[in-house]
Amino acid sequence: MTSEKVAVTAESTVKGTAGRTAPGVRVSGLSVVYRTPAGELPAVSGIDLELVPGSITGVVGESGSGKSTLALSLLNAVQPPGRISAGSVEIDGLGDVVRLTGEALRKARGRHIGYVFQAAQNSLNPLKTIGKQLLDLGRSHDVADLRGLVREARDLLGRMGMDGARVLDSHQHELSGGMRQRVGIMFALVLNAHLVVLDEPTTALDMITQATILRIVREVHEERGLTTLVITHDLGVVAEVADRLAVMYGGRVVEQGPTAQVLGAPRHPYTRGLLQAIPRLVGDIGEATALPGRPPTLGTIPAEGCVFRERCVLRTDVCETEDPPVLSQGESLVACHAVAAKARRDGPATAARTWEPGDVWAIDEIPGAGGSDEERRDEGIRAAGGVPQVAGVRRGQGGQA
Amino acid sequence: MITGRGVTKTFRQRGGVLAGREVKALRGVDFAIEKGGAASFIGESGCGKTTLGRIIAGLEPHDSGEIVIDGTAMSSLRPRQRQPYFRRIQLIHQDPYSALNPTRTVHQTLNAPLTLRAGQTRRPRSWVDERAGELLSLVGLDPGYVLPRYPHQLSGGMRQRVVIARALTVDPEMLVADEAVSMIDVSLRLGILALLKDLRERLGVSVLFITHDVATARYIGADGELYVIYRGQVVERGPVETIISDPVHPYTQSLLSAIPVLHGLERPGEQVVVPTEALDESHRDTGCLFARRCPFGTERCLTEEPLLGHGGGTPQEHACHHPMSRSVVAMPVGGG
Amino acid sequence: MTAPIIAVSGSRATLRRNFWRGVWRVLKRKPSRMLGVAIMALFAFMGVFGPMLYPERLPRDDSALYAPLSWKHPFGTDFEGTDVLALVITGSRYVLLTGLVTAVITVALGTGIGLFAGFRRGRWDTVLMRITDMKLTIPGLPLLLILSTVWKFSSAVEMGLVLGLLGWGGVARAVRAQTLSLRERGFIEAARGLGLSTTHIVGRELLPSMAPFIAMNMLIAVTGAVYAQVGLFFLGVLPFEANNWGVMLNLAVFGGGALTTTSALPYLMAPLLAILLLTLGIVLVVDAMDEIFNPRLREE
Repeated sequence: MTSEKVAVTAESTVKGTAGRTAPGVRVSGLSVVYRTPAGELPAVSGIDLELVPGSITGVVGESGSGKSTLALSLLNAVQPPGRISAGSVEIDGLGDVVRLTGEALRKARGRHIGYVFQAAQNSLNPLKTIGKQLLDLGRSHDVADLRGLVREARDLLGRMGMDGARVLDSHQHELSGGMRQRVGIMFALVLNAHLVVLDEPTTALDMITQATILRIVREVHEERGLTTLVITHDLGVVAEVADRLAVMYGGRVVEQGPTAQVLGAPRHPYTRGLLQAIPRLVGDIGEATALPGRPPTLGTIPAEGCVFRERCVLRTDVCETEDPPVLSQGESLVACHAVAAKARRDGPATAARTWEPGDVWAIDEIPGAGGSDEERRDEGIRAAGGVPQVAGVRRGQGGQA
Repeated sequence: MITGRGVTKTFRQRGGVLAGREVKALRGVDFAIEKGGAASFIGESGCGKTTLGRIIAGLEPHDSGEIVIDGTAMSSLRPRQRQPYFRRIQLIHQDPYSALNPTRTVHQTLNAPLTLRAGQTRRPRSWVDERAGELLSLVGLDPGYVLPRYPHQLSGGMRQRVVIARALTVDPEMLVADEAVSMIDVSLRLGILALLKDLRERLGVSVLFITHDVATARYIGADGELYVIYRGQVVERGPVETIISDPVHPYTQSLLSAIPVLHGLERPGEQVVVPTEALDESHRDTGCLFARRCPFGTERCLTEEPLLGHGGGTPQEHACHHPMSRSVVAMPVGGG
Repeated sequence: MTAPIIAVSGSRATLRRNFWRGVWRVLKRKPSRMLGVAIMALFAFMGVFGPMLYPERLPRDDSALYAPLSWKHPFGTDFEGTDVLALVITGSRYVLLTGLVTAVITVALGTGIGLFAGFRRGRWDTVLMRITDMKLTIPGLPLLLILSTVWKFSSAVEMGLVLGLLGWGGVARAVRAQTLSLRERGFIEAARGLGLSTTHIVGRELLPSMAPFIAMNMLIAVTGAVYAQVGLFFLGVLPFEANNWGVMLNLAVFGGGALTTTSALPYLMAPLLAILLLTLGIVLVVDAMDEIFNPRLREE
């Protein structure tokens, strides 16, 4: 291989990069259902979410919140028994992904959308070197210039602080967790995708490695002009990297907006509860308060009304039956009956007041919302009580009152 | 209640490419945990904190050094005689999914150790069922609901509570919680932490918390002692609050700097420390083990091993030639 | 908290009842499993009561040698005019009893040795696995041929004993591997930390986790044993003292020329069909084992 040839291929790659820009993504009315013996259950229902071109959006949620299902929907890769039952995912330059099928869909993955899998550390083939796997990827996407692809991969790995040539010659077991994660990111970017989805990018990594990976994500995002989606259960991770933040619960987005705004002045009781349940390094340690109850699973997500009401201190009767209205304020959106009621009473201005840890919630303002007896609301005890007010499916327990 | 002096442990790789290679998991660790006290081990994975926890819980033998439980040196006993001592120290596993036998109901799981206990303490059999109910209530579960169920019918948080209840069946004096909440949903974590804290305060059970998350360590026992462990050595040791507010070892500072900042609520610390390179176990063992990654390393650090002590007059012990307090922890916006 | 502790004392009986209810649920899930159970029940009935349905010496009909299929003789008759169906039914006891004895010995020995080696590890493990490997290298058939020159295997139990002693090696190795991986699990470690006895840990914690595996091996060992002994009798290695399927096959092929003429064909096919049906029944039931012994799969 002569140096001249290398120079040519490198140039062509650069041209390819320049030709495209960060795409915007508009998810509207997206619903995904899973078929179970108890019928089709919604894992994700009616999600509206926009990824602004060139932004990093974080989706945060607990297990069963539907965040991973949402990420898979961006690739139209929901596996049976699940299926996308409604809605669309419009990606600039690609159209509605939900309607793509077969070969077109396969080409879009990798070319347009890069995906870093949950536990990317373990998603590499243990029998092949990283370089071989890279060539496999290139061939399956009909890359004519495989040498350019290798060069690009080496550059990317070098950019992330690794010896590219050495890594390409390595097997998976020769790399540490943090290195494998970076290899995962390289695979997502090497075909020049400008929309990147990272599913739990730092789970099972150490604090220091996590910080390194997050810094790399941020830097690469800016240098290459990407639109990035980070899926995580860790508020800290999104707080560290994301410009915008969407909080998911029970298959719905309950609050979204600019990260600093959502974290600085959370309005949804779930976001508040979550923030309050994280122990801090400074300040009064006694302020941390546990969120009562437990997150719903596929079978226990209420079919109607607010999905969070079971654990909510601001619950009222209307939460049982009606889906909460989506209230927008500035750039952020929140779906909560209590917030809407408060906004109607006070006008929108007061709701913007910065919330601080330790704020007493306005329990007394909401009739019928008694949150004092937290002991009894604890998960086991709640479950044991037969959960009188759940309207959803609860197999083996009889059901609803 | 338990003290250790110069505890070492070396693992030899059995098969594979690395066969025969030695990994020094612990290179001479001293520790002391009082009755009813709290201590935390923090460090990166592979630093030896889990191995040390397992040694303390009697699940793993150590190579050299001495462990003393309630005044009795373990080396003076035969393995069989050590069992009653180590029984006082119960380990709470990280993974509540593998810590419970999937083929046994909660009732069966609690009954076995309780029956054993009833025999030891000459209590009637009726005590067993009574006690099982008591323990489940103590950990915040409803016995009527939980007892007849199999683990798969419970949530992660409930399982971890059952695991804690099982540990309590033998009236332990200390619980070793190894990353006990890392596999549990975020909104349920604090409940488990609060339970451990409560058990410590109400029952006087000592808690050893092993984690990479300093904030949870602080929650369990702000008055407790923090051990920062790096490559099998304690590099900094002292009261939790002191180390969080005035860390002097650059490794502790890197760990604290790596904690994500909740932008909007917090602003990053002013002197954030980032290691110059990633962890590499093959680094040579002379001098300070952190020297190669340390942004403040000097010639002396590469050759001379720093010893744990109060060098420079710091309130906490540390193993650094150039101890210096840096402000690395994120501070609340607006607050002090 | 004074929540009533519900019927805890009687819970062992409750658990057992729930278990059998779960088994029933698992079997009902697929019709093929019910079919398998029906087939196995049929063979069990044949083995236990079959020989009682017929006189000690089966009647011969000299006028109907190798008779074709008819209502009177659904599978025709043999060279002496004896009803083939009757031969199959009366012959089943020896075959099935051998299979059962073999399976019990294979599984008991294999599980015992595998568990012990895997749980104790160290020196015991090395010694036991050496022995197992040595045993695995001994070829079964030649050894059986040699043994049959000195031993007549007149009773099914003797036959099963020999086959069982020859067959435990594979099970032992597999059980050891499972034990090694299970003993690292949190719940085994917790049991050790709580000071529970080794008997409890092995019997109550380890064994139930391996139950589906052991049950599967047991069923498969039955088919293996049936093949092995039928093969031995077919080869004519063993004397024809007992009436059984292998003997029938041998006589049909070497005496009746079933491979060249059609008249003895039913005589050949009947025992083959019986073996096939038994294997089918076992295979269909094996499919349910995982679900029966895993509470999660059983309850749902």
